[in-house]
Amino acid sequence: MFSDFFYSLREQGVPVTPTSFLTLHKALNSGLIENLDDFYIAARSILVKSERYFDQYDQVFTSHFEGTPLPEKDGLILDEIASQMLRQWLQNPGATARMLGEDEEHLQKLSRTELLAYFKQILQVQKDEHHGGSKWIGTGGTSPLGHSGYHPSPMRVEGESSAKTALRVAAERRYRDYSTQGPLTRARIGEALKRLRKLVPAGAKDRINIEKTIYRTVKIGGEIDIVFEPRLQDRLKVVLAIDNGGWSMDPHVKIVQTLFDYAGTQFKDIKTYFFHNTIYDTLWQDAGRSKKPFSIADFSRFDPETRLIIVGDASMAPYELGSQDGSIHIQERSGRTSIECLKYLAETFPHSAWLNPLQENMWDYSQTVGMVRQIFSMFELSLDGLEKAISQLKA
Amino acid sequence: MNDNIADFSGGRTYVLDNELARIVHISMALEMPLLLKGEPGTGKTMLAHAIAENLNMELIVLNVKSSMKLIDALYQYDTLTRLNDSRFGDSNRDVSNINEYIRMGKIGQAFSAAQRVVLLIDEIDKADTDFQDDMLDILDQMQFDIIETDITVQAKVRPVIIITSNAKKDLSDPFLGRCNFHHIAFPDPKMMRQIIAVHFPGLDENLAQGAIATFYKLRDVEGIEKRPATRELINWLRALASDPDFKTDRLVEEEVPYLGVLFKKSPDYKKAASIYSQARK
Repeated sequence: MFSDFFYSLREQGVPVTPTSFLTLHKALNSGLIENLDDFYIAARSILVKSERYFDQYDQVFTSHFEGTPLPEKDGLILDEIASQMLRQWLQNPGATARMLGEDEEHLQKLSRTELLAYFKQILQVQKDEHHGGSKWIGTGGTSPLGHSGYHPSPMRVEGESSAKTALRVAAERRYRDYSTQGPLTRARIGEALKRLRKLVPAGAKDRINIEKTIYRTVKIGGEIDIVFEPRLQDRLKVVLAIDNGGWSMDPHVKIVQTLFDYAGTQFKDIKTYFFHNTIYDTLWQDAGRSKKPFSIADFSRFDPETRLIIVGDASMAPYELGSQDGSIHIQERSGRTSIECLKYLAETFPHSAWLNPLQENMWDYSQTVGMVRQIFSMFELSLDGLEKAISQLKA
Repeated sequence: MNDNIADFSGGRTYVLDNELARIVHISMALEMPLLLKGEPGTGKTMLAHAIAENLNMELIVLNVKSSMKLIDALYQYDTLTRLNDSRFGDSNRDVSNINEYIRMGKIGQAFSAAQRVVLLIDEIDKADTDFQDDMLDILDQMQFDIIETDITVQAKVRPVIIITSNAKKDLSDPFLGRCNFHHIAFPDPKMMRQIIAVHFPGLDENLAQGAIATFYKLRDVEGIEKRPATRELINWLRALASDPDFKTDRLVEEEVPYLGVLFKKSPDYKKAASIYSQARK
């Protein structure tokens, strides 16, 4: 019964398991479910385990039981872009109208619903008849949706030189979930710290020091005197190296820094360094990377138990890693390749992790990410990735 | 199935929406733990209290802490008391009987209770993943062993288990697989009016309406780090109601007294206060 429903949920990307489906049948057989309303609620609470999928569940449910067609994925994205355009328009009607090449007054007359429909229509044209950047959505233009335009875009579209349209990029859905479930935002820092806390086992005075207990007991003539001591506290030292050069890292530096500032209380010792793209002989203690150089050779004096965390997108030209004078900053060129420097770091600090703000499915597009991954274990800078990194660092 | 399950409709100070009531009902009938998520202040914890009150069951609360080990929730073997007893011999306990020194933890208490109880496992997300998964094993099998005495503690009656989580992150798949799930959305103004009515019977209608309207407006102030929740609203209403000088129309005039009851973080407080002082100018 309802196996179609089950499979269309799966098709729509709701992770439902056979076990939970069986549970649902148990509920059906036990006479708990009397009508469709009951079924809706019961099936949702049994099958769907995260509020993230509630929306999809609703769609599948209505389609299955009321015959409403499932929205096309493309359509959904169009809707989303159109509503972003509407927001843009409401904030700044003049600029938006200019960009669209439309008469502002004409647009003013339209109601919001009409506007939305109008925007969708433009987008539809864009989708069907795109000829390589001449339309108003593209990269390098002035539209609110493209990349490198003058407008502070509500949706950043990546792609330095690629001729992808905003629409295409949106359809790939790479940044769709950026704010809700992707990498860390400020609000998630507290959550992230919970993961970091795992590095530091709490130390209560709950362990008996047997030697001291015996000593004290003997000392006072056999009267048992138990001596407690806290468990050994593992207050870790952490070295944090952040790639703060280049536009690709700009959006992330602050988040990363705040994250580790908060972490300062957790760790006995946290040192932050900066680099651009990759590490050569020197790291910088100042964010401007000019005043306080720090030679990585000095790391050999550090406690090898120190955890090294590198944050960077590891995306650059391959010669920056492999060539002897690969650095784009001339003062950093010393004859050692960056690969060697990175290997040296990995050897100096056996507990290390590389956090990458790029989403994991993007890593394969960059050759240098692969090269770096051969040296460091790389994790996505998201809650999941951070958790994995922490468990690696704990070991 | 127990008859009184069907009667559950919310406690004296808990307003239950129909949907949630059915989910509680189904979870109890299927004997599965119910996992509740939702932003703070949506009444996740209160639900367990309400169920317990409504069904006349005892409520056992396990407040999960990050340092907690599963064994703490099951039982404790009090070696120290036993040692002291053996030294001084001044207690009524029988030192040779280990069982005298085994104390049940919260889960242990729930299992050994003679009647069906409500077991609330609060803020499960604080513990690490191993804790969560191991705990679910125990709750699945409804039994655990006391290693010291080699006794198996088996649940006499399956407790009603409510688990709450604040985390935005999902719990592990095996964990989720064994629970029913519900996400409690923040109540809408209409629902909030009912909640207020339950807490303040006979509250002045104008005051309630005005306060709720202001409350939702304040919740929407941009850039607020900790948005005020139901608990804050109730405390705030209590403050307003107890202030003899306060008149409801002051709310309409965009004046909000006792902002500190609603906003607990100083940047939030300043932000909210500045918005209202601007509005008055």
